[in-house]
Formats: sequence, C-alpha cells, structure tokens
Amino acid sequence: MRCSLRSISVLLLLALCPLLASATEASRQVRIGVLAWQGLEEAEVRWSTLMNRLADQLPGRELVLRHFDLAGVAAALKAGELDFVVTNPGHYVFLEAESGISRIATLVADNASDPAHVVGSAVVVLADRQDIRRLADLQGHSLAAVSPDAFGGYQVAWGELRRQGLDPEQGRPAPVFTGFPMSRVVEAVLNGDADAGVLRVCLLESLERDGALRPGQLRVLSPRPGGAPCQASAPLYPGWAFAAAPHTPPALSRDVLVALLALTPDAAGQSWSVPADYHTVHELLRALQIGPYAFLRETAWPSLWERYWPWVCGLILTLLAWGAYTLHVEHLVQRRTRELTQAMAARQRLEVQVQEGQQQMDHLSRLSVLGELSGTLAHELNQPLATIGNYARSLLRRQDSGNLAPAALRLAAEEIASESERAAGILGGIRALARKRNRVREAHDPVALVGEAGRLFAGMLPGAPELQVSTGGDGGGWRVWVDPLQIQQVLLNLFKNAWDAQRAADCDAPIELHLEQVGSCCVVAVRDHGPGLAPEMQGRLFEAFFTTKSDGLGLGLSICKTIVEAHGGEISAAAAEPGPGLVFRFTLPLAEGATPWHENPSDDR
Amino acid sequence: MTDSADLPLIHVVDDEAPFRRSLLFLLESVGWQAVGHASAEAFLQAAPAFPPGGGCIVLDIRMPRVSGLELQRRLLAAGSPFPVIFMTGHGDVELAVQAMKDGALDFLQKPFKDQLFLDAVERAVQVSHERHAARQRRGEAMDILARLSSREREVARLLALGLANKEVARLLGISDNTVHVHRQRVMEKSGTGSAADLARLILRADPGGLD
Repeated sequence: MRCSLRSISVLLLLALCPLLASATEASRQVRIGVLAWQGLEEAEVRWSTLMNRLADQLPGRELVLRHFDLAGVAAALKAGELDFVVTNPGHYVFLEAESGISRIATLVADNASDPAHVVGSAVVVLADRQDIRRLADLQGHSLAAVSPDAFGGYQVAWGELRRQGLDPEQGRPAPVFTGFPMSRVVEAVLNGDADAGVLRVCLLESLERDGALRPGQLRVLSPRPGGAPCQASAPLYPGWAFAAAPHTPPALSRDVLVALLALTPDAAGQSWSVPADYHTVHELLRALQIGPYAFLRETAWPSLWERYWPWVCGLILTLLAWGAYTLHVEHLVQRRTRELTQAMAARQRLEVQVQEGQQQMDHLSRLSVLGELSGTLAHELNQPLATIGNYARSLLRRQDSGNLAPAALRLAAEEIASESERAAGILGGIRALARKRNRVREAHDPVALVGEAGRLFAGMLPGAPELQVSTGGDGGGWRVWVDPLQIQQVLLNLFKNAWDAQRAADCDAPIELHLEQVGSCCVVAVRDHGPGLAPEMQGRLFEAFFTTKSDGLGLGLSICKTIVEAHGGEISAAAAEPGPGLVFRFTLPLAEGATPWHENPSDDR
Repeated sequence: MTDSADLPLIHVVDDEAPFRRSLLFLLESVGWQAVGHASAEAFLQAAPAFPPGGGCIVLDIRMPRVSGLELQRRLLAAGSPFPVIFMTGHGDVELAVQAMKDGALDFLQKPFKDQLFLDAVERAVQVSHERHAARQRRGEAMDILARLSSREREVARLLALGLANKEVARLLGISDNTVHVHRQRVMEKSGTGSAADLARLILRADPGGLD
C-alpha cells in the first residue's frame, strides 16, 4: 500500500509541474499596455527603447509590451491582462475613474521641467495673418487639429478657447481634423486649408530646429508668459502617466518606479519623474464634458434618470398628487363659490322682496293713518277754504254796495293769501306722508321732529288737545339717526291714539310729550289722559289688525313698532303714573358723526 | 235797529282766528256791528260790558276746554236773551241735534254759503228784537199787576178765568158787593175794560199765570 501511495504522489507532482512552471513564469512577467495613439508602428518605435532600458533595470523580469487604442486599454485592464499602463494625461484621468489605475510616474520633457506642466498646445497661424492676433480673433475662422481625441494636440487648446468665449464644437472656430501625424496640421495651415492650427507644445520649435519649417513662418497666438523653452497658447498640463493596475502588487510597482526614476533622459530628452497632480486635467475634461465626464453631455438625461428615478418618480407622484389636490380644492372652491353666490342672490332677492313689502306696508300704514284722519282733515281743509270764501264774497258785497274801502280790500286780500298758504301747507304735509318713497337715514333734532309732527297734527285735527313737550337732562341738542318722515308717522299715530283715547274719556287735558337721553338712545314718551288699557290688552297692542276702535284698521301701532325697530329702537306701552292714561315710549338711536345715506331709488315711484 | 242804542250786536265765538275774522268782515260788509271772541271763556268775561239791545251769538260747536254746547247751557241758565246760531263741522250732526233741543235758533254746517249765514243772522236778530219787545210788554204788565193788592190780584185772576162775580164771592168766601168793589178797583188800576183784557194782561206778565 505504501508503495502505491508514493507512486500516486509522484504522479500528482508530475501532473502539477507544468502548472507550477507557468505560474513562476507569470510572476516574473511584467505586462505593460501602451496607448498607441499614432499607430502601432509608431508606438513600437517609440516605446521599445523604453522597454529595453527598463528591462535592463529589472533583471529577472520579463517585460511584455502591448499596444492598444483608447478602448483597447480599458478592455485589457478590465480583463486583468495588464500590470501597468502608459497613456496620455486625458486618457489616464479617464482610466483612473473607470478602472481604478493609479499613476506612479509622469513623463517629463527634461529633468528641469515641472512634471505638472509638460503637455500643452500652441495655436499657430501664418505669420503674415494680421487679422488674427489673439485666440479670440479665431471667431469665424477654421482651426486645424490632428484629432478630437488628441490631448495636447486639441483638447488643451479647445479648453482655452472655451475660456475665451469661443467653442469649436459650435463652429467658432470651425475645426478641421487632419489625422496623424501632426505635421499635417502644419501643412494645412501653410496651404491655407485652415486659418490656424493646433500643435503640441514644443513641436513648432522642434520643427524649426530640424529645419522642417522656416523660423518665423508660423506665429503662436496669445503666447503665455514664461514661454521658454517653448511657446504655448494655453496652460500646461502634466505629461504622460505611467500607472499601475489595481491588482498590481505594491512591491512590483515600487520596483518598476525605482527603475523608471533611475532611467536617464532618452534621446528625445524625456525622462520619468514623480507622479504629477492630474487635478488640472480633471478640471479640463470636466469643463469640456469629455473622457470620464462625457456622461455630463451625452448621457445626461438617461444617467440622471438611472440615478434619480426613485426621486423623479416620487417627485412626479407628488406633483400629480399636488395637482390632483389643487384641482380638487379648486373644484371645491368653485362649488362653494357657486353655492355662496346662489345663496347670496337668493338672499338679495328675499331682501328686495322684504324691503318692497316693508315699503308697501309703510305706505299702506301712512294711508291708513291718513284715512283715519281724513274726516277731520276734510274739515280742517274746509276752514281755510271757507275763510277765503268769506273774504271773497264780502269783498263782492262791499263792491256791489259801493262802500269798499281800500284798507278793507287790503285786509281781506292779506287774509286770503295767508289762508291759501295754510291750506297748501296742510296738503303738502299730507302729500309728503302719502307719497311712496325710499328710506333714508339722516341726523335730526328729535325736539324739532316732535314739533313738526305736532304742527301737522294740530293742522289736521281741529280741536285736538295741545301738546306739552318737555325734555329731560341737558334739555336737548341731541341728534337722532332717523328717517324723519317715518318718525313723524310714528308720532302722528301716537298723537292720534292719545287723542282718540282722551275723546273717549271726554278729556281736554294736553297730551304730554317727554324726551330724554338714555345711553346712546333718545327716549320719546307720549302720555295721554285717556281711560288707559287693561294689562292683557297692552300685550297685544302692537299686533297687526288688533284694534279697540270701531273704525280702526289696527295697523297703526304695528307699523309704529316696525318702523321703530327698523331704526334699531324699541317701543312699549305702559299705564301712566299717576293714572288714568297710557304712556307709549320708544327709543331712537343717537347719531354719532354718521354720514347721511339715501337708498338708491330702484325706480321712480 | 231803530236807533243807535238799540243797534244789535252780533257775537262770533270761534277759536279759529282767521275764520272768525272772516265772519266779522262779512257781517260788517252788510252793515252789522259784530264782535269776535276767541273762546267761550273770553265771551263770558266780556259779557257784563255788552251794551243793552238786540243781537245774537254765532257759536262754534267744537272748541277746546269750554265747548259751544256748554256755553249755550250757561247762557240759558243765566237767562241770556241772545238767540244762538251754531256752526258745526262735518259729522257733528248729533251735537247739532242736541244744540237745537237746548234751544238753539239755527245751525249751519261748515262750509256754508255766506247768504245762508247772513239770513240766519238776520232771523236771529229779528227773534232777538221780538224777544226784547215781549220782555218789555211783560215788564209793563207785571208793573200794572204789582199795583194791585193781593186780594185784588186774586179777584183779577179768577175774573180772568171767566168766573162771574157770584162765583168769585163764593170761592173767596166774601160777599158779592165786596167782589164788585174789587172788580171796579182792578179795572181802574189796570186800565182794562173786560175780563178778556184782564186775562191777556196776566198772561203777558206770566205765561203760566192762569194755570
């Protein structure tokens, strides 16, 4: 059994040998990917020297150099096929973001150069182009460059033009891409195929040195200060980067770095230095929205959507909800507004009806008072008419008998005139009372109102008892806020009632009127010396159509109540002290600096 | 109207001053002498100073305090000789009826025609004159009768009733001769010639004197 076990071990070892051998071989291999931006041949020529010199510095390691285009480098990195990458600053920045590589060294032109300021652009024009002196003058001209992907050969100049307010992407100036090598750009400018051209910094000087270009034939636009040894139209950026892939062992990275730093400048004077800060490159690419920042331009909406779709959906939902809510609220508001408008219209109609009814009622009540007074009114009007008639006939008689003295004529004429005026005054008062009218509110002296009503009363009723007016407190100077005719109507009603009551009792005592101020009201009391009224009757006094008179309509006091209450006052009746008799009290609001108003007449009734 | 002392005076009592004045003016137009009074009280106050003679009172039936009817009652009570004409308003018919029952001479419903009014005044003054004359005649008769002794007045009354001497003697319990002597004296003193004349004289002095 032991023998067989050993044989199996041997077999296993034998089987594993090739694998172990290849593993050892792999650990010694250093795979370096290079961006072949000018073609494979060119790259082979350019970088093989570096590889050989590096190989010398790294004994025991096998350097494998592979060439890729821009996309190829990224793909190889993703597949884990590379340990190191050598590429231009723009591409490095892109790969740094995309694949996580990190730079270990930066290519510099010579030992004296600052590694952060190596790559740049010089924009050249024919020296005799007087119309183009600065970069800003390129507006409206054409600009030759090797390729849109060239960092120093285009992108740096592009960024500077943008800073100057121009934009080749918008055709200001119009770009013309010639392809590599960069000498084609020089040719395009010399031929006049383009007004200006973008050259990698130092290329112009190099061409002049080699004699490929006559010195002074081309002129650099907007040369930046401190341009030695080469003129540049834009800020300089770090040079090419030597970067380690994420999986590259740190020890290997260190070995390669040491080897790179140990290299002396090559034939072109280029050497490797400590890694530069590529921050400025980031800034440029971000401004141009290319490389790692291309998403800013090309995939702005989709990427935003991808990143923020939950938020966007939430926002849209919120907006929809808000919109729906707003619509709902608007609908509610409209409905309520409509309801309110309808309600108000209905209310207005009702108010108009009530008002019309009220005015009709007032009018009727005035007519009813007039009706009750009309018998005596006719008599009262007869008085002045009879007087006038007497004078007139007397004059005729005197004339006929031939003893008409001028003095007598004058006396009679004066009496006639004064009596006719009196008759007209009575009629005027009646007409004012009987006329349909709109309501008013004015400030009036209540004592004057009472006096006026008293005169009208006395004018309408011959033999009516006299009115005795007294005032309490400071004795007047009040102003009440009333419709004078309506208050007159109330007073006339009360006077008439008082007189009727006193007539029933065959009493000639004066009707007593008392006015006084109580709070913000003026209280008017009308007292008669009639037989008074049973208490149970007093409660019903103000009901419409309640009357104790055979010829009364029973509207008078109910109208009085309506009028007084419309003025914001109250009316009440009580037994007079000492009796017998009845006293009516009603209140009127005092006017306090209010302005008179008149209802707009709805028509000319 | 016969002489200035007897000139009748028309009194107008109405509280309505313009109307009162117009009536005075009207009365004066036809030559009456008229005076106005603003109330019953004013009339009563002025009454003692009224000149003797005829006249009438034109009285408004409705006046404050003392009404026309009341004034009429007081005048009647005081034996006023003035006939009263009432002026009434519309609807005062009941009052007017009462006034007539109380002895008013006439009533006029306002407004009245001036001629109606003047006619009424004319009539009233006439009545006033008649009453004045009647009163004068009665006074004379009473004076005559006052001259008789009480027995003679008794005999005169019975004779005026148409009794014969004998019947008078029997009723009074005196002799026929005595009656005869009394008769002679009565006829002498009164200046009458017959029992009929004597009866007229007694009735003039007292319309109920023969009851």
